[in-house]
Amino acid sequence: MSTTSTAISRELIYQVAYETNKRAAIVVPQDGLAAFGEAWERESKPLAHFILGQILENAKLAVADARPMCGDTGLPRYYVKLGNEARIDGGVVALERALRQAVADVTQDIQLRSNRVHPLTRRNPGNNTGVFAPNIDYSFEPGGDWIDIIAVHKGGLFGTDYRMLFPADGTDGIKRFLLDNMAEFARRGLSCPPVVVGVGLGGTKDQAVTLSKEAACLRLIGDRHPDPDVAALEVELRQLANQTGFGVMGVGGDTTALDVHVEIAYTHTGGLPIAISQFCTAYRRSVARVFPSGEVEFREDPQWFTPYYRREGIE
Amino acid sequence: MSQGQGREWQLTCPLASNDIEKLAMGDLVYLSGPVYTARDGVYKHMLIDGNAPPISLQELTNVSLQSSPAGVEVSPGEFEVASLQATAGFRYAQYMPQLLEQFGVKAVVGKAGMSEQVYQEVFQKHGAVCLTTMGYGLGAIYGRAIKKVLGVYWVEELGISEALWTFEVDRLGPLLVEGDIHGNSFFTQVNHDINRQLMALYDGLKAPVYGRIGEEQKPETELF
Repeated sequence: MSTTSTAISRELIYQVAYETNKRAAIVVPQDGLAAFGEAWERESKPLAHFILGQILENAKLAVADARPMCGDTGLPRYYVKLGNEARIDGGVVALERALRQAVADVTQDIQLRSNRVHPLTRRNPGNNTGVFAPNIDYSFEPGGDWIDIIAVHKGGLFGTDYRMLFPADGTDGIKRFLLDNMAEFARRGLSCPPVVVGVGLGGTKDQAVTLSKEAACLRLIGDRHPDPDVAALEVELRQLANQTGFGVMGVGGDTTALDVHVEIAYTHTGGLPIAISQFCTAYRRSVARVFPSGEVEFREDPQWFTPYYRREGIE
Repeated sequence: MSQGQGREWQLTCPLASNDIEKLAMGDLVYLSGPVYTARDGVYKHMLIDGNAPPISLQELTNVSLQSSPAGVEVSPGEFEVASLQATAGFRYAQYMPQLLEQFGVKAVVGKAGMSEQVYQEVFQKHGAVCLTTMGYGLGAIYGRAIKKVLGVYWVEELGISEALWTFEVDRLGPLLVEGDIHGNSFFTQVNHDINRQLMALYDGLKAPVYGRIGEEQKPETELF
């Protein structure tokens, strides 16, 4: 019974939050390394091939020196999945405090750039925290007594856009919007391609944007959506993104998108809202599951989009 | 020849004019010597608000990075840098005439460069080049090249992520020559080729039923 499960300690949550932020900043996840390696192998343009090689070398040096893989260390943020039976010492308020503290401490210890500033005064607290910072997004899972802590360090300037399309626009509209997005942001490599593209399709406008970001950051490269129509669209859009030829850094090359992930949400019958987010070359994510026993399990797959999270019915 | 396309150069800062003159777009450059950072905060504080820099930048070097490093104050007054990357330079085009004129900058190191027009109207006149960091995420490689933080200024006024940093670097690179002293832009040339295949992808895709303000701007144009 949930009432008898042991509470997860706030100290452990802090330690895991600290460690996931540290790893996110420094270590390129395995699926990213594999995808960069494949892109390097098949790249036909010499300059693009050279740059992809440098990206692989950079990934090695970052780990060897324990230094951030990119000088713009992005905006640290969290995705937290709570098992329905999980209990936290001090409750979710203690959890949020630990998560915020970990970002502040990692900023100093790992030497992240203090990117978070007041939008008007530009005042910088110097620790990547502040009003609504870091972002913390939640989802839930039936049955589990664990907490998943996912740290993502997402770039903050280029690659995201939203548009209200209409059902008459259909797949043509979706493809055009992807091409527009690439032309806007992959040109000169502003969004730092090769990217993982996340597409949020449907839902409400804010859901489309949120889902696009989660699709970009929280699925393994190569993963396909369980809905075959959505999966087919993913493959088609990935091919289209790569046909643009922007390539790594926008210098011209074969790989602009390592993958395209599409998430759908049921939407207004009259609309087809769409949002796109691009997860940059600095592919930064770390995932850990914390159990009430004190055990901690780091893993590669965020397992964020569970069947329950994407459920269609009432239950 | 480098492993990419262009030639490869090992240069010492401050850059000599004959070194700058031989750089052609697409070449790769590795810099050694003193450099300093300037982006939104420093440009406004120094160029718009007219605050004199705490040290003579011209005496230090003629290479300026559009960057702020991933670095912290490890003890009072002592700073360390772990990782480095430049930020997108197009938004700083407005500051270039003053920066090059008043501070004698001969190489701006940014991300993705600026328009060919800026090179022709500003850089060419001053015999200056625009280099871009690469990857763009080679933060660890560039971070390793920083041998010493010489000084950090205007931390109080601008915050640590906009402060003026001065570094001694050793083989900071690879950096790509994006704008040469003849007013050529590497990316403008690349985009000319990319646009042909890009526009072909739009063929047969019907336009959205509801437009957006500004949509008459064609996707093949630069947005800045």
